[in-house]
Amino acid sequence: MQSPVQTTELVIHNLHAKVEDKEILKGVDLTVRKGEIHALMGRNGSGKSTLANVIMGHPKYEVTEGEIFYRGINILELSPDKRARLGLFLAFQYPASIPGVSVANFLRRSLESVREGYNPTAPTAPTGQMEKRKGVPPGEFRKLLQDKMELLKVDRTFINRYINENFSGGEKKRAEILQMAVLQPQMAVLDETDSGLDIDALKIVAEGVNALTGPNLGVLIITHYPRILSYIKPDQVHVMNQGRIIRTGGPELALELEQKGYEWLTGASDEDGEASV
Amino acid sequence: MTETLTKGFSRAGVEALSRLKDEPAWMLEKRLAAWELYEQTPAPLGRRGDLGILQRVARYHFEKLAPYATNGHASSNGHAALPTWESGLLVQHNASVIARELDPALAAQGVILTDLDTAVREYPDLVKQYFMTGVTAADNKYAALHGAFWSGGLFLYLPRNVVVDKPVLARYLLDQDGGTSFAHTLIIAEASSQLVYIEETISSLPEGATALFNGAAEIFAKAGAQVQFNSVQDFGPGVYNLTNKRGVPEKDAYIHWIVADLGADTTFANLGTTLAGSGSNGDIVGVLFATGDQHVQIQTLSDHENLSTSANTYFKGVVDDAARVDFEGLIKVGHGAQQTNSYLSDHTLLLSDNARSESIPSLEIAANDVRASHGATTGQIDSEQLFYLMCRGVPEDEARRLIVQGFFEPVLDKIPSGELRARLRASILRKLTKGQQTMDESDWHDVTDQWDIEGAGEEAAPMLEGDDE
Repeated sequence: MQSPVQTTELVIHNLHAKVEDKEILKGVDLTVRKGEIHALMGRNGSGKSTLANVIMGHPKYEVTEGEIFYRGINILELSPDKRARLGLFLAFQYPASIPGVSVANFLRRSLESVREGYNPTAPTAPTGQMEKRKGVPPGEFRKLLQDKMELLKVDRTFINRYINENFSGGEKKRAEILQMAVLQPQMAVLDETDSGLDIDALKIVAEGVNALTGPNLGVLIITHYPRILSYIKPDQVHVMNQGRIIRTGGPELALELEQKGYEWLTGASDEDGEASV
Repeated sequence: MTETLTKGFSRAGVEALSRLKDEPAWMLEKRLAAWELYEQTPAPLGRRGDLGILQRVARYHFEKLAPYATNGHASSNGHAALPTWESGLLVQHNASVIARELDPALAAQGVILTDLDTAVREYPDLVKQYFMTGVTAADNKYAALHGAFWSGGLFLYLPRNVVVDKPVLARYLLDQDGGTSFAHTLIIAEASSQLVYIEETISSLPEGATALFNGAAEIFAKAGAQVQFNSVQDFGPGVYNLTNKRGVPEKDAYIHWIVADLGADTTFANLGTTLAGSGSNGDIVGVLFATGDQHVQIQTLSDHENLSTSANTYFKGVVDDAARVDFEGLIKVGHGAQQTNSYLSDHTLLLSDNARSESIPSLEIAANDVRASHGATTGQIDSEQLFYLMCRGVPEDEARRLIVQGFFEPVLDKIPSGELRARLRASILRKLTKGQQTMDESDWHDVTDQWDIEGAGEEAAPMLEGDDE
């Protein structure tokens, strides 16, 4: 593959990945540019969530072939925290809860890391030493958090709760988007952010995402319901099946899928139905 | 001036110690009775196939220790780190009490704070009545050794209705190679009195040196009395730490133990409450953090003897490196102890593949109208939690630290004293970073501080959730 240009594109090339001994991704090619919104659709088990996890570097998955470039850097060699500091963000389908660590204080720490960024050519700190963080002043953080919480209509008690601990499904999804709003990534992957939300919660989340999109943010929305795409307009829609992208089109592709179902493209019956993974 | 006895422990040593202290005959008799039990009692060796912690204790070189030794040149460490005291203070350096203070206003109300040796001379009736009746020489071999060689420690007496809500502090320092401390704490809280007590055990031994702390604490809380006993064990390397603590609350009294075991090479800690009076309460909150080659054996007991008593034991421990922690918790409910409420839980987080832990909670119930339950969990850092934090830009070592801090947070949250919480957080952070980082407690506050966001979300509609999964 030719060397990608130094840009904020996310370029996935011929990506193969397996978990344990099962190959899940079998040659994915996908490019998301800054300012674009892409939707990745497909049945449960088609590999969508695996792709999201591989983009962030989940240790459970092994990449056996192919590359992922972001800003011209092969990120497959980077730990998840470095990927985040380059500007990548993943809104989790099933966010982990972290007892004993509050949303606000974690988010402040996270913002410090992300603002610090990651420069692959900078000398690494001596082992055993913690990198000195540049603090985010409490006043500035409070203001930022307050703005974003208003934007996403998040209850103020939320922030002193432990991360995702005893959150309802909808609260978890909203907390993910709140984190995205505060951290302001340049490339965000939203993994089934719409699942588990009723229509009102979906609207709030979609409005939040729309308020964050713009020329400086690339978004990859992973979903198997076309519903969210009536609130967030994608530039491109991709359909994934058995670890490959089998069709790419404009927003009209989502409508066609809604009417015809996945078997229209995959040729097989939709045996998974609407069940979650 | 240095006073020493022959090394090792013997009947002659008991007699020599009693003579040195110019004790009355009744105390010598108690000591000798304890010594006989010590000689008759085999060292506890634990369960078959357990982690071998009690066996390690049994192999300790007791014969090389000085049963009673004071350092003539009181180490500056003992003084430099003295906490600020509010109600009262006692400092013991190796085997000798070197400082005693009591708020004169409390003294005027009849509160007595002195070392136990002085109490034997000045308050013999009280000492005779209570000493070694909570913790007894028959409890285990090391309690018997303590009964024979106890020295120093604190005697604290609260008259009826006296409230000591600012803490009395006691600090025990070991800094002599081959030295010992057999500090005995005896607290008598008369009816409706209240006490907050904090003890801290620390050491500053030369590299390769060893010392023994074999302490005992007894609390007698009379009707309606409330005693909060906080204990921070933060010994350095080289210390063997064997302790026996027992609280006896009478009718409607409450004894609240808060214990943190952080240091020492080897710890064998027995901690229990005998719920003697109807309506009495006894809670235990415990924090453990073992690293390196530390071995920790904890045994807790909630012994329900009377009607309508309640107890809640709650431990959280983190085990790293090649450390070992063995927790045995027992809830005992006697025949007459109807309407008992008793809970016991122990949660352990293992940070290394070589770390070992065992948790054995058990129930012995002889009454039929009882609510008692126990739970224990042991696990490692969850890889999904780690991935989640790292996906937000937090490097792995820091993410692990956050998870450990978060694991401890619910138990730290149950500690009433803010000062003590701060003290424990600082010690835990120091252990988490293997002492390489000088960190202050503000690093922890980052995680736990409460934020107040004015006005945010106040107009928001209540969350509408549709869990259609």
